[in-house]
Amino acid sequence: MKKYFKIILLIAYIALVFLPLVQVLQMSFLTTVSAASTEQPVFTWFNYYHLFTSPILGAAFFNSITYVLLNICLTIPVALPAAYAFSRYSFIGDKHLFLAFLAFRVTPPVVLALPMFKIFSLIGLVNTPFGIALAHCLFTIPVSIWILESFINAIPKQLDETAFLDGYSLPRFFYEILLPLLAPAIGVTAFFCFLFSWVEVVFARILTVTNGKPITMAIDALFGFSTDMGLVMAVIVASVIPGMVMFYFVRNHIAKGFSFGQT
Amino acid sequence: MKTLNHKHGWAMAIPAILILSIVGVVPLLTVINYSFFDIFILDKRFWIGLDWYQELMQSPRFWASLARSLLFSTLILTVQLPLGILIALAIPKHGIWVATCLMTMSVPLLIPWNVIPIIWLNYLRLDTGFLGQFLTFIGLDFDWKFNLFHTWLALILMDVWHWTSLVVLLAYSSLSTIPTAYYQAAAIDRASRWQIFRYIELPKMSGILLMAILLRFMDSLMIYTEAFGINSGGPQNATLFLGIDLGEQIKAFDYGPSAARSVVYFIIILFIVWAFKTALDRQNSGGAK
Repeated sequence: MKKYFKIILLIAYIALVFLPLVQVLQMSFLTTVSAASTEQPVFTWFNYYHLFTSPILGAAFFNSITYVLLNICLTIPVALPAAYAFSRYSFIGDKHLFLAFLAFRVTPPVVLALPMFKIFSLIGLVNTPFGIALAHCLFTIPVSIWILESFINAIPKQLDETAFLDGYSLPRFFYEILLPLLAPAIGVTAFFCFLFSWVEVVFARILTVTNGKPITMAIDALFGFSTDMGLVMAVIVASVIPGMVMFYFVRNHIAKGFSFGQT
Repeated sequence: MKTLNHKHGWAMAIPAILILSIVGVVPLLTVINYSFFDIFILDKRFWIGLDWYQELMQSPRFWASLARSLLFSTLILTVQLPLGILIALAIPKHGIWVATCLMTMSVPLLIPWNVIPIIWLNYLRLDTGFLGQFLTFIGLDFDWKFNLFHTWLALILMDVWHWTSLVVLLAYSSLSTIPTAYYQAAAIDRASRWQIFRYIELPKMSGILLMAILLRFMDSLMIYTEAFGINSGGPQNATLFLGIDLGEQIKAFDYGPSAARSVVYFIIILFIVWAFKTALDRQNSGGAK
């Protein structure tokens, strides 16, 4: 009895999650007709053809992917040692430091957007993918530290101690023993960096004034006096695909992550 | 057991601290600085002390939007948390379906935030939207634009759709770390399903659930992009949340007042994070028995 209940619950939830998306998918394959006209929308591939041939949308995808990858490359090397420190050492102010990191993770971008723009325009980072990547570190670094810490917590401390007894220095231990062990963890962390950076809008908008528009802004720009909803829907479908690909690579490790607080 | 090592601890955290100083601390200090000035253009400003803070504290609009946001976050949590846990419990522990389940559920998390309201406005359209048509079919005269309750309902449905899967992911990952021996012991003791949940699963999940609560509470408290996209704070400011108020002030280039508002928001955030961290620490020390 319970087994069926679970299956029904799962199917119902997935169906509810998918219903709005089914509509998006459906509309992305239909021609756009104005509300006043009586003609019926018909099936078409044109929206996707339009998407793949539009240089603006192509550039927007390229910009988004660039800053997300830059963000991952910035975040992981910085978060790894910090996560190790939080996991293995106790030091003065560690609790407060963790608290400060958490506080920055939950600070909404709107609060910091204005001065961030001012500072970034002073040092010439506005309109560059690097600028957005750096701004997104505000929330990707704290999240990454948290995820990586839980993965490192799951590794027995004896491993470190044996390695040190064997004469490994800390950097060498890190590089030769810990990193290979943490490969799945780094994958999962990269996925979460991707997730939070790809979907963020406020920084991405304020830091791209004239150039380097990401896909989120390109979608906004599609809205106008007569919006081609079919094309909008096709772009939305396309904007989910990179995330799905990322998820596919780390799917088996996702569930094993963040066993928070385990030692 | 953690080693006491101040030097290594700080040295390894320094790169992260450096980057967060650039993107977090410096902007924050700039905001605090702005908040004491009346600014026409950034080069021409006048010291006015705490005037903006006083104005904000005395504005009923601020308190109303704070109350609205707190209510919204509370409603979101009361729906998302139990639902997320329930779904996580229903996902099988092993097998080929696990990854597929998690992956399909996570799709809403991967959608850019400004697109979420586009999808939902479309979904809610009375003539063509699936949900809009369904609501009309069951006889509900759904009007998210002018009816206060319907706008709230739309926002809550949207947020539940958008974020419940994050709770599912987090809850499921902590469930999957519970050793099978615990369940076997419970079976020997003839524990009921509720007892297993109450005494095995819930304590195991508590740390990560607190984190999920913190993330979901704060993100919905400061919701901006998605809520603005649905009804721009309407009808008659009924969905004017903290984030929307600030966002609009920044768009209007009200440097001084928006800076003071940002500082107040940051203080609220700091207080809530501190409360959660205290709860988390108590949990960790209590759970280590």
